[in-house]
Amino acid sequence: MGILTALFQLFMFPGVLFLVVAALLASWLDRKMVALWQARVGPPWYQPFADLIKLLAKEDVMPAGGSTALGAALPIFSLACTLAASLYIPVFGQAVGSFPGDLVVVLFLLSLPSLGQFLAGWLNPSVYGVIGGNRSLLQYFAYEVPLLMGMIAPGVLSKSLTIDILTTVQHPWRWHLFMLPVGFAISLLGLIGKLKRVPFDIPNAKSEIGAGPLTDYSGRKLALWQLTVALQTLVGLHLLVDIYLGGLSPARAGWGVPVFALKTLMLLAVLSLVQVLFARLRIDQLSTIGWRLLVPLGLAQLLFSIWI
Amino acid sequence: MRKTTIPIGPQHPLLKEPLSFTLEAVGETIVSASLRIGYVHRGIERLSQERNYAQNVHLFERVCGICSHAHTTCFCQAVETLLGVEIPARGAHIRLIMCELERIHSHLLWLGVLAESIGFTTVFMYAWRDREIILDVMEALSGGRVSHAANVIGGARVDISAEQAHDVEQKLADFATRLPMFEELLTRDRSFRARTQGLGVMTEAMVHEMGIVGPAARASGCTLDMRLQAPYGAYPSYDLTVITESAGDVWSRSQVRLLEMQQSLALCRQAMRNLPEGPPSVRVPRRVPAGEVVARIEAPRGELVYYVQSDGSETPARVKVRTPTLPTLMALVQLLPGVETADVAAVIAGADLCIACADR
Repeated sequence: MGILTALFQLFMFPGVLFLVVAALLASWLDRKMVALWQARVGPPWYQPFADLIKLLAKEDVMPAGGSTALGAALPIFSLACTLAASLYIPVFGQAVGSFPGDLVVVLFLLSLPSLGQFLAGWLNPSVYGVIGGNRSLLQYFAYEVPLLMGMIAPGVLSKSLTIDILTTVQHPWRWHLFMLPVGFAISLLGLIGKLKRVPFDIPNAKSEIGAGPLTDYSGRKLALWQLTVALQTLVGLHLLVDIYLGGLSPARAGWGVPVFALKTLMLLAVLSLVQVLFARLRIDQLSTIGWRLLVPLGLAQLLFSIWI
Repeated sequence: MRKTTIPIGPQHPLLKEPLSFTLEAVGETIVSASLRIGYVHRGIERLSQERNYAQNVHLFERVCGICSHAHTTCFCQAVETLLGVEIPARGAHIRLIMCELERIHSHLLWLGVLAESIGFTTVFMYAWRDREIILDVMEALSGGRVSHAANVIGGARVDISAEQAHDVEQKLADFATRLPMFEELLTRDRSFRARTQGLGVMTEAMVHEMGIVGPAARASGCTLDMRLQAPYGAYPSYDLTVITESAGDVWSRSQVRLLEMQQSLALCRQAMRNLPEGPPSVRVPRRVPAGEVVARIEAPRGELVYYVQSDGSETPARVKVRTPTLPTLMALVQLLPGVETADVAAVIAGADLCIACADR
């Protein structure tokens, strides 16, 4: 394995370029599905690309009173964390790198953009940003703990915290989904909370606080934030497919890639459907659900996987 | 704890029309609210003194983009009383049909705005999609989707042919099939109820004290409906019941509006079938005898009052409009303190404000 192969893996496939294109296409599919379910037409396939290019070309204004250096660093930092996490998540069975215990590192890296949003909101002079930032942090505690429990439960069950191993032990039909359905549901809800989607779109509730933490962002920095969210969605779905839905399995020769893509798309469809079916919750309602329902369920699931 | 000042408006994603709330919050709870209105004041009452009565019908149509027909109906009724003119039964029925159609589309519009304010975009899309049917019917009957110009002093400008009545009946039958979905949703959906029940409660005492009218008053248990208490036009010939709820929260208001939509639809279809023969309007003189009059009708948002004073010339000496939104605005200033910041949107959207009406 030469340096060229490594570079190709990092930047082309399954690295940055592939992920960005796939994430934008996924965000189009998401928007299109939501639109069709809402009896609308929806955007053409190139809309997310056009949005990104347009934003990248736009004037970038930072309001007076905000911290310019940190404000510029946060979106880059969040994007970098998401991309770094993606290196250890097998896509179509291929990960750029893998080491024992990488699941914990990936979950940590994926949680950092939420903290980035909190800081971004807090740095803004706008009151909507401050409220949005506060809500991001409150939401962070409500979803992150159940999400961790849901993601670790398969690791406890299969006695490994390495994503690669967790994926292969499920082959061919021993999916963690069948053994830990509650853990899967909790992880999916946690992911929705992480992505700030309906019904947990509390930090960026448009009718309440505008764009929340991102209210004062524009141009390139906003484009990077939006790209981060699109990438987080795809990377999160990949992680769920790898850990709960058996990754490539069951796949006969040549069928691995379409099977993996299909699983990811089905999970995306679930996210879109949830987006259509619910109203936004209040932050206190989310905290109640997170701590009174999801955390005890996650604990029960963890204990179950320890005893089994 | 430190107070945070949260501005809602004059421009804000929640508001469809400009108005400005300045809220002070401690943590997530609002502790005080102040209101500023007048951003869309166009001086319509003053303008009306420089136009003759026939022109004023078109002027008052432009007070509001949602309840435009209610405004012209009320103004025409006031002037007709001054003139001592009885409008033909057919004209009164056409007015009633347009009024009830307007009530349905206004209530659906409100539902969409409320749903969007609590992040339920699907309901917003569905409500506004089905509202299009009603707007299409209104366009077919009058030629206008928003400003219908369906009224003239002395009756209705438009007439409904048998062919039109048939088309409209079909469209309304189609619309009737859409309502059960909203009924199911408003009464059963848990995420909708979680965001609206127990929120923005107006007590019956508050309704009386602040003079709140319309669906908001009825949701608090007041039997206040001008169609029954001060019957006008063709309403006396139909059976109506006052739809009330008792809780007075945003959810009860949605229940009242839902039932009113069903009632209005039934009333519309009944009136379409019972359309009396005869001309839709009668000619009236240009000059109006001196005197003053108060006309009241039930607009979609509640009791609408027009006071018209005539000095015997071709133009009115004074017209004063009292819209149902004004007391609701005053009530909001009292309702908002104590509410969580996340619920502000639902409380404001749930009040069914029409700023263009209130500012004029």
